[in-house]
Amino acid sequence: MAAFGSFALIIALALAAYNLLAGALALRLIATGQPARISPERLADTARRAGIAGFAAITAAAFALVWSVFANDFSITYILEHSNRALPAAYKFAALWSGQEGSLVLWAWLLGAYGFVLRLTHKTDVKLYAYAGVILAGIQVFFLAVLNFAAPPFALLKGVIPEDGNGLNPLLQYPEMVIHPPILYLGYVGFSVPFAFALGALMMRYPGEKWIKITRVWTMVTWLFLTCGVFLGMHWAYAVLGWGGYWGWDPVENASLIPWLTGTAFLHSVMMQEKKGMMKGWNVGLIFSTFLLTMLGTMLTRGGLVSSVHAFAESSIGNWFMIFMVIVAAVCVFTFIYQRDHLKNEQQVESLVSRESSFLFNNLVLLAVCFVIVWGTLYPVLSEYIEGTKVTYDAAWYNRVFVPIGLFLIFLMGVGPLLPWRSTSFKSIRRNFVLPVIALWVVVIGCVIAGVRPWHDGVFDQGHFYALVAFGLAAGVLTAIGSEFWRGAMVIARQSRRNYFWAVLQLIRRNTRRYGGYIVHIGVVIVVIGLTGSAFNRSVEKELTLHDKLIIGPYTLEYVGPTQDTNANYDSEYAQLNVYRGGKNQLQMTPGKRIYLVSGQPQTMVAIHSVIGWDLYVVYEGTNPDTGQPIIKAFLNLLVSWIWGGALVMILGTLVALTPQRQGSEIRGQGSGLTALEVGKL
Amino acid sequence: MTETQGFIAGGLLLVALLMYTFWPENVFASQSEKTRLEYLLERKDQLNENLRDLNFEFKAGKYPEGDFETQRAQLESESARLMAEIEILQRA
Repeated sequence: MAAFGSFALIIALALAAYNLLAGALALRLIATGQPARISPERLADTARRAGIAGFAAITAAAFALVWSVFANDFSITYILEHSNRALPAAYKFAALWSGQEGSLVLWAWLLGAYGFVLRLTHKTDVKLYAYAGVILAGIQVFFLAVLNFAAPPFALLKGVIPEDGNGLNPLLQYPEMVIHPPILYLGYVGFSVPFAFALGALMMRYPGEKWIKITRVWTMVTWLFLTCGVFLGMHWAYAVLGWGGYWGWDPVENASLIPWLTGTAFLHSVMMQEKKGMMKGWNVGLIFSTFLLTMLGTMLTRGGLVSSVHAFAESSIGNWFMIFMVIVAAVCVFTFIYQRDHLKNEQQVESLVSRESSFLFNNLVLLAVCFVIVWGTLYPVLSEYIEGTKVTYDAAWYNRVFVPIGLFLIFLMGVGPLLPWRSTSFKSIRRNFVLPVIALWVVVIGCVIAGVRPWHDGVFDQGHFYALVAFGLAAGVLTAIGSEFWRGAMVIARQSRRNYFWAVLQLIRRNTRRYGGYIVHIGVVIVVIGLTGSAFNRSVEKELTLHDKLIIGPYTLEYVGPTQDTNANYDSEYAQLNVYRGGKNQLQMTPGKRIYLVSGQPQTMVAIHSVIGWDLYVVYEGTNPDTGQPIIKAFLNLLVSWIWGGALVMILGTLVALTPQRQGSEIRGQGSGLTALEVGKL
Repeated sequence: MTETQGFIAGGLLLVALLMYTFWPENVFASQSEKTRLEYLLERKDQLNENLRDLNFEFKAGKYPEGDFETQRAQLESESARLMAEIEILQRA
């Protein structure tokens, strides 16, 4: 299979190169009108079909690699290093993305799959799709060149072939790891598509903003995958790493968040371009940056630029990425400058207090957060390069900077929907802001009464202060969004004389994008409430003898003895703990440790009991070598389940926003026969 | 699969993909430029959507009467300009 896989990768590279060169030549011939021996449109079509054929070739290569994993073909170095005979079948799939070469195959395959769909649907706008297809082919050439020349996945082992492989990294042997990397990659790779459309539209001086409508679904689906990927990564870190937290500002975690932030900014500001013809240059800059940041993220995770607990593949392909990023940046900057007159705005922001300006501020804050994270992530590399000493920012630094900016962002999220387009009057502000402000103060006062106070015995408590602000803002934002639903539904309920819940459904169907977006905002607020809970977390560590007890919050944990288990892949040992609450035995928890037989690597198995208010999170830290007694660390992590619940609401909101809305189809169907006045009355 | 079998399978894949790519087709989509009229019709759809949103938000009590009238007048005059140009192009 190694020969077949290598051959398939060479074919894929040749087809991608043909797609790029023939496609670019055809577009050039069409743009200049130069006579040619072959019809440029025929040439462009062969380029498009080469793109589709290239996807088949990469699929064949990916299939060959997966086949080799399942066939335990340890003559292939990659399989030897990332799999073993006893590895369960699901994790054999995970071996595809557990190492650098395999994950690059996945990258190229996903890009091929996106390109396949794009090229099949090219009749939507043949010329724009031809430009986008050529740009995607350019990206594909880079990844296939890396796979063929710098990181070949089918490289053969020299010498004697071992009986068994080295096994998969224990950290990756967790169910979520079977879906987390591909989903994250779907998000990373997916941003190549809106990037290709934006660059193509700029190169061809696409008239109007319809390209945004064409790419909207691509952008939102990509953003959805990236969101799912980020949250799955958080959950994996929480459930597997055993340190009691879910986000440690690790470079690889940051790498997934950075393009998410610019992608989020793009999703907001692109609405201004679509609706008002504003922020054209800004949007192009944002999507260019987002694509480059996904490349940076891939370089961080796969290129060995920074060290991380999540960077499962370290190597020296960073230089390849660096050169590619420089080339992409040069092409983007040149096109941007060359076509800058095409990016002139049709309207300007009229007032600082308007929805337009709130979008602008939202973008600036998201970019500020992004800059902080990029700076913090790359600072160890820069400091080592400039000063010779690696200086790393810790989580406390990120929290100090990120928390106030993040809270301001939440504030803007509440303000934005309440502001009308263009400009607003004081009367309008008073009318729209009364309820959210009341809700904010009611919650702040309620929290202070409940004991969330920024001062304890005359000492300022920053954690509680931020928690108070976050809870207050969350209440204000939820009320603001709720009032948007309430007012809109009341209009429909009055007109249709139907009940309120029916009216809410009609309201959402009428403008799925806006109200789906509001549902996403509700999800973000729920996530923020969950994150705020960390201000109240507590933990206890204790060495326990038989029937010894450990008390944390409302729980008493009693150690009732050890237990062991073994299978072909690993040995495990557990501490059995009876958990009491209010004197009643509620459940038994069994935190443990695994020792993987092939690699000899240990892995913590955390036990988590989750309720709506908190998680009881218990870690077995091994035994004291002197006494032989188990050491147990228990955490009471507040509101963690709100984070996962909020993420689900965000996903639901995005799915709603992706649903075709009635408003657009009605307008399209009726628009040609209606005057502006008549439409205004709809 | 031996190395030779692998190369034969790869060769067959290559032939199939080359045939797919270069098979002479007489029908393929042409790349036409978007006309000014198509562009204006797209803009008109967008303006109609903006007007409809404005009207709905006014009914929902988000705009005071004065703000609403000003913004509606701006959108309607923009729409009238577009309609005039569309009519000229459609007659031509």
